Amino acid sequence: MISITTTFFWIFLIAFFITAVYSIKDVHFNIGKTQMSTTSDNKIVLSLPISIENRGFYNIDYFSIKTTISDKNGSIITSGSTLMPVIRKNDEIVINHNMTINATDLLHKNESYLFNDSELIIYEVLGLRIAEMIPIQASANFSIPWGAPFYNFTLGQTRSNAYNDTHLRVTIPISFENHAFFDFNGTIQIRMYNSTDRLAGEGQTNIVVWQNSPYNGSIEFLAKMTDFTDSGCFEVNLQTSLFKYEGMMIPYG
Amino acid sequence: MVEAKSDSKVKKIVFKALRSTVKGVIFYGIYFFTWMLLSPISEYVPELQQMIEAFVIVYISLMIIEELFLGTIFQYFFNVTKSLFVIGYLIFSLKGGVFGITFQNVNLTIDFRLFLSAAMLLSMLGLSKSVLQAINYMNEKSEFSKI
Repeated sequence: MISITTTFFWIFLIAFFITAVYSIKDVHFNIGKTQMSTTSDNKIVLSLPISIENRGFYNIDYFSIKTTISDKNGSIITSGSTLMPVIRKNDEIVINHNMTINATDLLHKNESYLFNDSELIIYEVLGLRIAEMIPIQASANFSIPWGAPFYNFTLGQTRSNAYNDTHLRVTIPISFENHAFFDFNGTIQIRMYNSTDRLAGEGQTNIVVWQNSPYNGSIEFLAKMTDFTDSGCFEVNLQTSLFKYEGMMIPYG
Repeated sequence: MVEAKSDSKVKKIVFKALRSTVKGVIFYGIYFFTWMLLSPISEYVPELQQMIEAFVIVYISLMIIEELFLGTIFQYFFNVTKSLFVIGYLIFSLKGGVFGITFQNVNLTIDFRLFLSAAMLLSMLGLSKSVLQAINYMNEKSEFSKI
């Protein structure tokens, strides 16, 4: 009697094991194109649509995906996790795996993201449990390039000519390249301080920059002749729909 | 009289050999069918076939030897060996229940601990059954010799 019972349990266990492992073959994952959107508080939301098709013999439980994005030094920039409690057999679902990046905070922590191309490290962990018995976890580490939105930001040679008896018309050429994966629009504001740190004049310009394209423009403003000196510094403030960066000082003269 | 005795001995051995051959063929057939189902996974785990084949070879060998020693104490001895082999092999091949492989840049970890526990319990049941059968066999033998 015990032999029959043992044999029966062995057959059941082996059949269960084989069908569970065999089921993995019929689970298909499709990762769509990353979508980007912004929230009302100017945060960037990266959304990754993942389609899961479960054609196996069993349900998939606790499907979870966790992404951590960090810089080269290991400092975490953002992380996001998504959990799907059950994916029933013969079911196909699409989930959106979201990650939120506060670009303003990020750029204040490290302004090099704004002006220098870099590399981001992505750590991805995917977990699921098949047949309510076998937990599986897959993890991968890979890097993606980070393109700076104001790469090679340069203020050109300042030109000034007389506007009237008291003021000068100052023109400052601006150039940079948008290496980021997103387009942006906003304003660049420049304040001109003379050699005695006195505000000589200020101006701003609106910009619209497409991803992977250069920007060449200029800012014009009027400065008092009496305050204008050959040397001093510019305070540059950048404000876009995605981020705000203020207080960059660039000397001139 | 002596000829008839040796005839029945030969018959017994032939019958045992046939029985063990049939058992071995059936077991190999099960393995063959199972492997057909598992073969797509071997693309990702290249050593899987080698692992399963080694198990099948040793298990079938022990099964054939056990059959050949049917009716002796060695039958139980090989049965115990078989159960111990299954327990040891499962622990060794499933790396204690948490099986990990690296495929390109992806680390995959599969937790077989629950399955391993069930398999171990069944093997232990088989092991204890064999030990009890061996004790029973020895008891019966000693009773016969007393009479």
